[in-house]
Amino acid sequence: MRRMNQNFLSLLEESTTLNGSIITLTRLQLLISLAIIEQESITYREFKSALQPITDGALYANLNALIEMRYIKKEPIKLEEKELDSYHITPEGKAELERVKSWLKKIIENGGSKNETR
Amino acid sequence: MEDQKMKLDKAIACFKAIGLTPKVGSFQDRLVIQKTIYLLQQKGIKMGFEYGLHVRGPYSPSLTKEIFENVKKVEKLETGEKLTSAEGKIVEEFNELFSDLTPSMLEIAATYSYFTMELHEDPITAQKNVKRIKSFYSAPKIATGVSKAKEFLFQPTKKELDELKEETKAWREASLKTLKE
Repeated sequence: MRRMNQNFLSLLEESTTLNGSIITLTRLQLLISLAIIEQESITYREFKSALQPITDGALYANLNALIEMRYIKKEPIKLEEKELDSYHITPEGKAELERVKSWLKKIIENGGSKNETR
Repeated sequence: MEDQKMKLDKAIACFKAIGLTPKVGSFQDRLVIQKTIYLLQQKGIKMGFEYGLHVRGPYSPSLTKEIFENVKKVEKLETGEKLTSAEGKIVEEFNELFSDLTPSMLEIAATYSYFTMELHEDPITAQKNVKRIKSFYSAPKIATGVSKAKEFLFQPTKKELDELKEETKAWREASLKTLKE
């Protein structure tokens, strides 16, 4: 039987080193989408389409928050003569996402199930 | 490493045959590369780039990586590979349908192809899903892209052609009658 992590407090303490501002569904969706495609970028309209039914307000605000945190960058691109905004992840964004993923993994592996915590 | 080189060389041989001279720094050209290679692989040219369904439609991170690591080679179309006659024929068919390499057409065709060929969705569901994830394209544009994908990837069997003939028999006869009158 898998044993629960004896020092659950250390997991909680570790969480304080994370940037809590990125742990929202939309921000994680944006960062993960960008991290997977690495050097490539994603346009605003592609995000809007993929994250339906997100509103423009919510998408714009979340993208801007990630830009302010320096986790993503915006750049103008031209596609079929149209000027569009596209976004790519920065090394800082990638590193922060890795920290969150690693912490979540520890929680899943060591946090224990309902039965084990009884 | 050698295997990676061969994969990219084959891709560059395809660019040459298509008449594509990509600029790696261009978002549009990278999109064209991604979708072109996807469609050619689906049609039978083996290059071994693995694709997944991403926010951007079918996308291969390893192809992007190769392209960024070999900018000069890609832009100067340097390759040690040649296309076989069968591969050349596939590229010819590709050129006939996607001659102007319009990114939106390639994107729609590749996405439709992913839904039908990788996820085995029926044509109606696949088209609905293309509309869902590429909602920024107009319905006529999606219909054209889907039609090009079908024409490129799906050769009708003799049975399907016979069925089509039977289905349209009445119309053809009516047209002939009108012409005679």
